[in-house]
Amino acid sequence: MKKKNIVIGLILTSFVFLGCNSSSETSQVDGVSKKDTKTSINIKGSETVLPISEKAANIYSKTENSQLVSVTGGGSGVGISALMSNNTDIAQTSRKIKFSEQQKFLHEDKEVKEVIIAYDALAIVVHPENKVSELTREQLEGIFTGKITNWKEVGGEDLGIIPYSRETSSGTYEFFKEIILKNKNFMSGIMSMPANGAIIQSVSQTKGSIAYVGVAYLNQSVKGIGVSFDGGETFAVPTVENAKDRSYPVVRPLYYYYQAESEEYVKGFMDFILSAEGQKVVEEVGYITIH
Amino acid sequence: MMNKKISQQIAFGTFKLFGVIVIAILFSILGFIIFNGIKVVNWEFLTGFPGEGMTSGGIFPAIVGTLYLVIGSLLFAFPLGVMSAIYTNEYAGKGWIVKFIRMMTNNLASIPSIVFGLFGMALFVNKLNFGDSILAGSLTLGLLILPVIIRTTEEALKAVPDSYRQGSLALGATKLQTIRRVVLPTAFPNIITGLILSIGRVSGETAPILFTVAAYFLPKLPTSIFDQAMALPYHLYVLATSGTDLEASRPMAYGTALVLILIVLIMNLFASLLRKRLSKNNKSK
Amino acid sequence: MANKKKLHRFFAKIIEKLFTFSGAITGITILFITIFLFVEGIGLFNSPNTEEGYGLYINSSNNIENLTPVEIKEIFDGEITNWKELGGKDSEISPFRIDDVFQIYPESEFGENYELLPDKLNEVVSKETGIIAFLPLQYAPKGAKVRELPAESIKISDYFLGKDWIPTATPSPLFGVLPLVLGTLLVSLVALIIAVPLGMGVAIYLSELAGKRQRNILKPAIELLAGIPSVVYGFFGLVVLAPLVQKIFNLQVGETALTGSIILAIMALPTIISVSEDAMRNTPRSMREASLALGATKWQTIYKVVIPYAKSGISAAVVLGIGRAIGETMAVLMVTGNAAVMPGSIFDSVRTIPATIAAELGEAPVGGPHYQALFLLGCILFIFTSIISVSAEMVSKNKKYNTH
Repeated sequence: MKKKNIVIGLILTSFVFLGCNSSSETSQVDGVSKKDTKTSINIKGSETVLPISEKAANIYSKTENSQLVSVTGGGSGVGISALMSNNTDIAQTSRKIKFSEQQKFLHEDKEVKEVIIAYDALAIVVHPENKVSELTREQLEGIFTGKITNWKEVGGEDLGIIPYSRETSSGTYEFFKEIILKNKNFMSGIMSMPANGAIIQSVSQTKGSIAYVGVAYLNQSVKGIGVSFDGGETFAVPTVENAKDRSYPVVRPLYYYYQAESEEYVKGFMDFILSAEGQKVVEEVGYITIH
Repeated sequence: MMNKKISQQIAFGTFKLFGVIVIAILFSILGFIIFNGIKVVNWEFLTGFPGEGMTSGGIFPAIVGTLYLVIGSLLFAFPLGVMSAIYTNEYAGKGWIVKFIRMMTNNLASIPSIVFGLFGMALFVNKLNFGDSILAGSLTLGLLILPVIIRTTEEALKAVPDSYRQGSLALGATKLQTIRRVVLPTAFPNIITGLILSIGRVSGETAPILFTVAAYFLPKLPTSIFDQAMALPYHLYVLATSGTDLEASRPMAYGTALVLILIVLIMNLFASLLRKRLSKNNKSK
Repeated sequence: MANKKKLHRFFAKIIEKLFTFSGAITGITILFITIFLFVEGIGLFNSPNTEEGYGLYINSSNNIENLTPVEIKEIFDGEITNWKELGGKDSEISPFRIDDVFQIYPESEFGENYELLPDKLNEVVSKETGIIAFLPLQYAPKGAKVRELPAESIKISDYFLGKDWIPTATPSPLFGVLPLVLGTLLVSLVALIIAVPLGMGVAIYLSELAGKRQRNILKPAIELLAGIPSVVYGFFGLVVLAPLVQKIFNLQVGETALTGSIILAIMALPTIISVSEDAMRNTPRSMREASLALGATKWQTIYKVVIPYAKSGISAAVVLGIGRAIGETMAVLMVTGNAAVMPGSIFDSVRTIPATIAAELGEAPVGGPHYQALFLLGCILFIFTSIISVSAEMVSKNKKYNTH
């Protein structure tokens, strides 16, 4: 009698799991119906763009008839990955979409739209008591790949260099790797912090530290240093003004990506961010507007 | 002779010291949070929305989000867990099936929370296409607390003396009626204790919700189970590591930590009060 | 009247079937989770070890047959500079990426939809004998002077014994989990070294020495410690403990394995204390009294009688403590610095398995090799903790046989 109950229980359970499996085939249908009940625009991705999206979402949600906008960080890689698996409507990134990522979208017949919403300058920061104020790109490459390990090698005091980096999901990480490291890999023992805020805090507390952050994250607790891309001829300090007139060369666009089929759905928010009001948010947060 | 006494005194003195150390650790952690958080927690903090890059405002959406997740996960885990425990304790024999289910429950209980997050993301968010949603988060958290509920319910049922069951059956009740009218009511306070402890647990877990529901910022409250939600533990995590101005959001972080700890404290208190009440009841019997 | 009874019996049967069903679900759930994790992860060993959609191309005069992922990384990082270091000819290696081609030719020469790109790439590769080019398969150069290096699948030994965890390296991501496994073990074991003596001491105090008043303070305190969420511990560690460790040990950075171990020790304490205490209290009074009657002091009784008797319970406590420490995510993520490197000392920054999963899962494209590698990490973690839970159970079952 009990054994029969067990058998029935097992059969019922296996039906449940069969049901789960088949639903992945019908996921297309599920996806559409989920969107119908869904009432929010999801934005996911870059920690650098996060402050812009957050502020914009706050203002946008106070307008009439607006959808709920939810903002999550994690890094540009997280945003693109979520966009690929339909887990977000907009991917915010601080780097351009990679060629391989574009291929993945094309593979599934999905078209991705790219919109530049702001510009950011990448700042190199060190502990405020550090005497070094200028470094060349080559020196930065040496430091972050682990070849230069002491500040005295670059004109500072006899102190070990502690480089900090973002996680691999970060667009800032990828951008830094491409422009400063010329695509070489970071040194393997580098300390990884999950977000810009944590990096600023660690740098402000750790003597001998050096890191890279978006210019909007610069504040009094760390020291930004000048960078030279011509072997030491000229150095430029990261400020919003220098980035605007391009005298600070390490400037990059910040993007929103969305799938072409969601264009209607996200139009309201996209229009907002590109409007004068939206761009004012960009400026207030500390980045550079698109004009 | 002297050596024996001295070594005993040293040993016991050390152990007493250890006891003091543990209390000191607890007090320093609690003190740190309470002292810093109390300056921040007020009515506006609890009912307001976060603003200005998380440097001002409140944590209301996080509190609501956690509430939704608690309700959602319990809706899933409580009936399933209690019924499971009833099955293993009242119906199944002593055969391999019971041993198997018990072993599986113990295994489930020892799985690290991040593995639940991994599983939840792959199954609920991706394969079943729920997306980052309260639904996915509740299911994942439900799985996390399922073994807790099963274990406490089983203990509660075991604590009901067999004589109660036999008396009821002797009076002509069916097994189901016995369970419904005799066993369950007696075991009820202990079962509820498990429920209360689970509330504390769900409120504090971060790893399972990282990839299944948590959002950094929501300007309005979620309105459907397919929406993302903010949650207290994730909020503390992002306040401590993200945001443009960590120094300025620090007070909010303390406040969030305080609210979290208060929830745990209150739930623990409820649970132990219930237990005391139960032992009083039993004594009178 | 008879119908009502039939209805009742019908409902009763359904409810009872529901009970059985619930029991079945619980039992099956774990099996399902295990199988699911493995299925998602195992595909890793069938994946090619260069980035998907890309291939490596060398000049046909180059006689190198294949390259390991570590060699590829070192080539593109500029650490290996001559083919002879890999057993080839004495000629300089020139690493080449797709973007480099835009520096050589103006964009107009590639055609509207890049149809001419493969030919241009062909030219570049054929000219340079020492070249190794990382190019998308879509624009693969095909020519007599171009040879493709076949992509092999990721080897099991590379995964389990590899010393580098660089999951987003191009062209070849490196998925060596050894630094992560060692980091996890280091942090957990040091945590135990701290927590076991401390926990045992408190357990002895609670079960043998403490009066009612002290128990009423200590026991709730321990339960509270157990209930504090992991992220609150992480916050405390980040803001209080890390700077403290930095000051006391005069280190440059406070986020170290030691800091992680201390926090984990605090988190594992409640488990160790309560399980040990339970085990010790269950020592029969008769044994204690016999020992005291023979003239032993209380302390001698404890370490010669009670503890050996409670051995299996205490072992179970330690084992459960290990389990708690190994699986902890948020607290470690916030305080250990997360450097994926083979740990050299407890003052180094380490990266544990749970922290790696938490930090990287979001960006791994679903179904890709990074995703699968993370799932396998989850499997490893799952296996560790299952073994721990089963041994804890077996160890405490031993105890039951010892009692008579």
